[in-house]
Amino acid sequence: MGEPAIAFRGVSYRAQGRVLLGPLELEVRSGETLVLLGRSGSGKTTALKLINRLLEESEGTVLVDGRPTRDWDVITLRRRIGYVIQETGLFPHYTVERNVGLVPKLLGRPQAEIQQRIDSMLRLVGLEPKEFRLRYPHQLSGGQRQRVGVARALAGDPEILLMDEPFGALDPLSRVELQQQFLNIQKRVQKTTVLVTHDVGEALLLANRIALLEGGKLLGVYTQSEFRESSDATLAAYRAAWSGNLQLPGRNDGHVGIS
Amino acid sequence: MAMWEFLKHHRLEITTLTVEHLWLVAASMGIAVLVGVPAGILLTRKPQLREPVIGGANIIETIPSLALFGFLLPAPWLGARADRIAITALALYALLPIVRNTYVGITGVDPGVREAARGMGLTSRQMLWQVELPLSMSVILAGIRTATVLSIGIATIAAAIGAGGLGEFIFRGLAMVNNSLILAGAIPAAILALAADLCLGWLEARLRPPRT
Repeated sequence: MGEPAIAFRGVSYRAQGRVLLGPLELEVRSGETLVLLGRSGSGKTTALKLINRLLEESEGTVLVDGRPTRDWDVITLRRRIGYVIQETGLFPHYTVERNVGLVPKLLGRPQAEIQQRIDSMLRLVGLEPKEFRLRYPHQLSGGQRQRVGVARALAGDPEILLMDEPFGALDPLSRVELQQQFLNIQKRVQKTTVLVTHDVGEALLLANRIALLEGGKLLGVYTQSEFRESSDATLAAYRAAWSGNLQLPGRNDGHVGIS
Repeated sequence: MAMWEFLKHHRLEITTLTVEHLWLVAASMGIAVLVGVPAGILLTRKPQLREPVIGGANIIETIPSLALFGFLLPAPWLGARADRIAITALALYALLPIVRNTYVGITGVDPGVREAARGMGLTSRQMLWQVELPLSMSVILAGIRTATVLSIGIATIAAAIGAGGLGEFIFRGLAMVNNSLILAGAIPAAILALAADLCLGWLEARLRPPRT
């Protein structure tokens, strides 16, 4: 195993005197999908934002490609990292093509290459360029917007992809559809991905490994089978909550069984 | 009928004074926009300046316009010409709505869009030009619209210090107790204000970003 793509070395984050995260020791391997799982306030989004320096660690070091993020030029660092958030953050005044082409343009790629890239990214996320290129975000459904968000994040060909509850705001059907599509995309592009979710089903579907956070502390990092089979009480509780959701009659929150 | 005759007779003078009036408003609005919008942007970057700057603009707004014209009379260079005083005073009045709306418009940009933009590696300047200004343009323009309509009204008082404009008719009419004269100033001023309000309102609606 080579150098990890991302590493947290004794990282903690404090705000207004309170420790919100850490100390955190965690490595993300190149090409894997690591899911940060935990409930609200567990520090998972904080950990994610420390990677692209939307937040800066109070102690310790976050390394990207073996280099402390503090030593990176922040703009260069962020342009190497794709970022997808729940509300998509698409620019409402830009067409789909301008949204997707933004990062390649910022990176100074030639116009013809940008156009090509926009088309291939839209196809990758299952949107026909001819039909969607010139639409504005408000002319898209939630699922389509999120697809454009993913296309935009991948357009600059980043080495790392950060996703913060990317499918959280979608209806259950679109969510399942997008999760499946994400798996297909990931098979093809093999980006190092860190995905934040509180949805155990989503974690079990998408993750190579699951990092479980509670109250700003890392409880452990588990492979799929470790997470499913561990006798640890906390993991058992997470599993029970997840399967409990499945059994609740009339509850329609999109948690699907993964066999 | 008498009013109509009056307007016909004085159309040349009305036109001249309307042009003067427009000049006072346009020049002052130009200055207010050039100062107010960058000031509003600065406040979003340095929030600690918000209280003193908005507070200062608020205080200016509370000074009666006639008094403000008077205060500026002894100022060097400015006081040498009445139109300079009028333009400065009108620009000062226009500052508050423009600064405030620029600040509110930019800080009101959807935090999700802002965060995504930062996450994608936009520099502060790119953020301003590509995200913040386009998305807050309609709010900024609403401030400019308020300020313009306000200025068209206040500019009538500029005639009191000899700066010209449609206020000439109004002050003359008041002195001579002649309603036709007063209306010859008031009606074109009202039409100007309505026209400015409509045009800028239309532009504001066009620039309003679509909601997602």
